[in-house]
Amino acid sequence: MNKDVMSNDMKIPETDPSKLPWLGRKLLWLDNMKNVDRIVYALFIVCAGLVAADFMYHKHSYLDIEDIPGFYAAYGFFMCAALVVCARVMRIFLKRDEDYYAPKDVESEAYPEDQLSRETIND
Amino acid sequence: MTDLFPPFLLFVAGALLLPLIPNGHPRSLAAVIVPVISAYFIWMMPEGMHGQFTLVGQELTLLRVDKLSTIFGLIFSLAAFLALIYAWHVRDTIQQTTSLLYAGAAIGAVFAGDLISLFIFWEGTAIASVFLIWARRTEGAYWTGLRYLIVQVGSGVVLLAGVVLQYNDTGSIAFEAMTLGSPATWFIFLAFGVKCAFPLMHNWLQDAYPAATVTGTVVLSAFTTKLAVYALARGFAGTEILIYIGATMTLFPIFYAVIENDLRRVLAYSLNNQLGFMVVGIGVGTELALNGTAAHAFAHILYKALLFMSIGAVLFRTGTAKGSELGGLYKTMPLTMIFCVVGAASISAFPLFSGFVTKSLILSASVHEGHYIVWGILLFASAGVFHHSGIKIPYFAFFAHDSGLRPKEAPWNMLLAMGITAFLCIAIGVYPEPLYALLPYEVVYIPYTTTHVVTQLQLLFFSALAFTVLMRTGIYPPELRSVNLDFDWTYRKLGPALIGAIRHLVRGIWGGIIGTGLRSINWGITTLQRAHGADGLLARAWPTGQMVLWIAVLLGATLLLNYM
Repeated sequence: MNKDVMSNDMKIPETDPSKLPWLGRKLLWLDNMKNVDRIVYALFIVCAGLVAADFMYHKHSYLDIEDIPGFYAAYGFFMCAALVVCARVMRIFLKRDEDYYAPKDVESEAYPEDQLSRETIND
Repeated sequence: MTDLFPPFLLFVAGALLLPLIPNGHPRSLAAVIVPVISAYFIWMMPEGMHGQFTLVGQELTLLRVDKLSTIFGLIFSLAAFLALIYAWHVRDTIQQTTSLLYAGAAIGAVFAGDLISLFIFWEGTAIASVFLIWARRTEGAYWTGLRYLIVQVGSGVVLLAGVVLQYNDTGSIAFEAMTLGSPATWFIFLAFGVKCAFPLMHNWLQDAYPAATVTGTVVLSAFTTKLAVYALARGFAGTEILIYIGATMTLFPIFYAVIENDLRRVLAYSLNNQLGFMVVGIGVGTELALNGTAAHAFAHILYKALLFMSIGAVLFRTGTAKGSELGGLYKTMPLTMIFCVVGAASISAFPLFSGFVTKSLILSASVHEGHYIVWGILLFASAGVFHHSGIKIPYFAFFAHDSGLRPKEAPWNMLLAMGITAFLCIAIGVYPEPLYALLPYEVVYIPYTTTHVVTQLQLLFFSALAFTVLMRTGIYPPELRSVNLDFDWTYRKLGPALIGAIRHLVRGIWGGIIGTGLRSINWGITTLQRAHGADGLLARAWPTGQMVLWIAVLLGATLLLNYM
């Protein structure tokens, strides 16, 4: 995975920030991994805050299970983790090459160029 | 013939006139105006039955105007308007006209008050829409379009069978609420189910939508399936089996969405999942639930179109919509990214976005009626949809690793269409009252309570946490160039393979029987030939002398025996 990313990085030419749209320049701080880490820490704090919030108000619930503090948090986290793990297992059995259904399928075809407008920021 | 002008005729007239208008801005403008006029007409129509006339002894009703048909008519007009702005740059006459005809057929079907008109419009949507797939003009799109057409027209044929049986049973072709039981109602139910992408009948959707053109997919995403939702809500509200069908529909597509590479196909899977919520609402069938279905269909058409638009814009600029090939586009397409995130937040039902104020009606309705397991499934599906549509779509297209692609921002018309749609998604979320006022029943529901907001945020942020943890630990499945087998494998691979095997077997048996038969006949003929043929033993002309000799031998033998 890491190797992949590195070899990709080497192929990618430096982008001249002046060619980016204004908003794109403003978002460039996302390129810095340190800032991405900061976002992740912020997510941790928000999550902790949301669980703490459960103790601070009266919950209007229909089911007993909803009254457990952090029920929705735990449900969201574990069900999503289970979803991804199940999907990974499914992939072992279900994954086929891109041209499995070719030529009667668009998956391995290129999108027709005459219907595209491939402009880049360098144009 | 009719006291009100049926809105679908506007679209037909538009489609007929369009080729006469110079191709370019004038024609695009003309196309965009049609749904605006249609929305005005629908808004002004008084409730009741209009446009009734008799055709070969059948009383047809072109316009049944009530709150349920009006809200679908309005959202279909709005969807057509937005999709046509998005497709402003398209100069392909086929796509321009069929988009209008398709929207017109869907609106016609929504207002149809009898089953015969419904059938005609039902098939109209099938035939008009397939051109949006064929317009890609590749071999793969041709075959995909054929598969799509077979399923869609097939659904219409099943519907017609049901209508004929229903007329036989009841003597009426009125399209009213039905109770599942007779073969007639089952046929009609099945026809609706095919278009609604019920489990095991769903693959046409994931197969066809990613195969359409950039703009065609946006058009397709709005009409066919929501028409089916409308038809189910009209015909089968409160049918319990729909609760379980709907719950299944919310569940299994999310697993596929996680491992699917083509982002437009991921969206097709999540569309299927969202339909599940609406179907559950129809199955529960209370006023709250049906309000939820109508409201969710309205919001869903907008945010789903927005998501398809943003990924379509990426495809338009880069030539691919595959997660494995994309990434890092936020720098060069920041507006498209923001619109995509708005769509993602709406489908995930973040507070202040449209999904939050509509989906919760359905969840509340299911828990009110005591369907606790279904509620649990819907909650899981809500978390799951955030996972694959809310995070995966924007993440792999615009962030993730840098793909090196530096596409320019989407063209102005796409940005405009996405901007209006994004605005509507937020407007509905912030101020849902106007939408609630359009719903079929009176709404006594307050979406913004502390409990609802906090619990929903917990669900979503912890789903995001799960994504982050799985991504950082490398457990999250990477995007790979691949296809995943789904139920369509049965008719795309297994079916043809079985037919091939049967052909082989039949050919073998036939060949064996024919071979043996031919050999026996051959043997018989050869034997006969040997005995009776021209040179055969028994047909040969023997010399007279030889006969005399043999008679002499016989006589001699007789004489000899007499003496002994």
